[in-house]
Amino acid sequence: MSDMSPESAGSAPGSGDAGLSQTIVFSDVSVVRDGRAALDRVSIGFEEPRIGIVGLNGSGKSTLLKCIVGLVAPTTGTVGVDGRDAVREARAVRRTTGLLFQNPDNQIVMPIVAEDLAFGLKNHGFSKAEIADGVAAGLDRLGIAGLAGRRIHELSGGEKQLVALAGVLAISPKTVLFDEPTAHLDLKNRNRLRDVLHALPEQAIVVSHDLDLLADFPRVVMIEAGRVVRDGSAAEVLANYREASR
Amino acid sequence: MIAGLARPGTSPLHRTAAGTKLAALAIAATTLFFVDDSRLLAVAGAVALALARSTGASFAEIGRDLKGPALVLAVLGLADWWLVDGATALVVVLRLGAIALLAHAVTATTTTAELSEVLERLFAPAERLGLLDAARAALTVTLAMRFVPLIAEEAREIREAQAARGLQGSVLALAVPLLVKVLVRAQDLADAIDARGFPPDRPTSDTEPKTNLRPGSP
Repeated sequence: MSDMSPESAGSAPGSGDAGLSQTIVFSDVSVVRDGRAALDRVSIGFEEPRIGIVGLNGSGKSTLLKCIVGLVAPTTGTVGVDGRDAVREARAVRRTTGLLFQNPDNQIVMPIVAEDLAFGLKNHGFSKAEIADGVAAGLDRLGIAGLAGRRIHELSGGEKQLVALAGVLAISPKTVLFDEPTAHLDLKNRNRLRDVLHALPEQAIVVSHDLDLLADFPRVVMIEAGRVVRDGSAAEVLANYREASR
Repeated sequence: MIAGLARPGTSPLHRTAAGTKLAALAIAATTLFFVDDSRLLAVAGAVALALARSTGASFAEIGRDLKGPALVLAVLGLADWWLVDGATALVVVLRLGAIALLAHAVTATTTTAELSEVLERLFAPAERLGLLDAARAALTVTLAMRFVPLIAEEAREIREAQAARGLQGSVLALAVPLLVKVLVRAQDLADAIDARGFPPDRPTSDTEPKTNLRPGSP
């Protein structure tokens, strides 16, 4: 694992920089799959710099994230990201909203680290010079410049997760969605990712079973059977979630 | 060619355009199939080895990278020697060995991104005829290269898990769970590719920024 410090990952934790935040609005959103509601008439807005989402497996957390970037189209209702429709204007939404998947092996497309960062930048139409700058800057931000020429399949799980995150950050999103980012990580890498996450200036919406990761978030939402059942401070919602999970 | 074996460097081959190298490789490989003189093939092999070394790769690295093809070559050579004769076996081994070394030289100096761009250009006429989407076709090839090591790793894990439970040597028992895993991964991967903005915007210029946003920084 390359050296990485929280400082190298960005500015102050949870700074909520006005330029790096979006207003995300779910309006009466339902997603029905195979006759089952993955999301059930969800109406909620997100604009805080850090938002945690908790819930049992299958409760609809990942579906909610995928709706934001238009990967899942609501059966009814709409999702808006800074006024843009997440499905009809998915391309524009994905330019400002990155999604970090649970398993980095399912997210990293190219066999070499630097090439993978370039993949996203190329897709969004950056010039070759911008891509070269973006790859270098993206790796530098997370302190993994030394991995640039490495083959993905030779990296550790923690390194892969950082590469996947660097690929998301390289396009300079305003919002990063994290889908259980620590699920595949050992304790050391989990702590590293937590430091990185807390230092990001971008808005972050984090789905996680790792409650310590969300403990100092200003807002946490609890989802159960596709419905928002709690929405409040981390202390209040996480205590309730722990109680409900006994 | 084995993608993902590219080494950083500044050798003449590194500086040669990917399309030129691939075209030269195709011509050289085709030409070698019409050469039956083992002395000429030995010279070709020596040249190919020199080219592979010119990329900065050591003999040990070349040997490690070509271990798999070397095994196949050994089996082919033995089969030809047994079924035909020693001279034929020598020609086959020298010919395929030279091609493998040339392919290694190209692979070591060509990144997957460069290869993908060449493929997109190759597929462009078919796209104009409405036969395929060049970017998607090139990505398909790239993905195959990226996921071969991963799928091999998953196959090993399944074999180990099955061996721990007393099941060994069953091709079907390996193939079914592996196929299921690959299909599940394919769905996630498709989502990830979409989320990362694929297919690409059509480039406007290689020199002028398309946007005023700086990539890679907050």
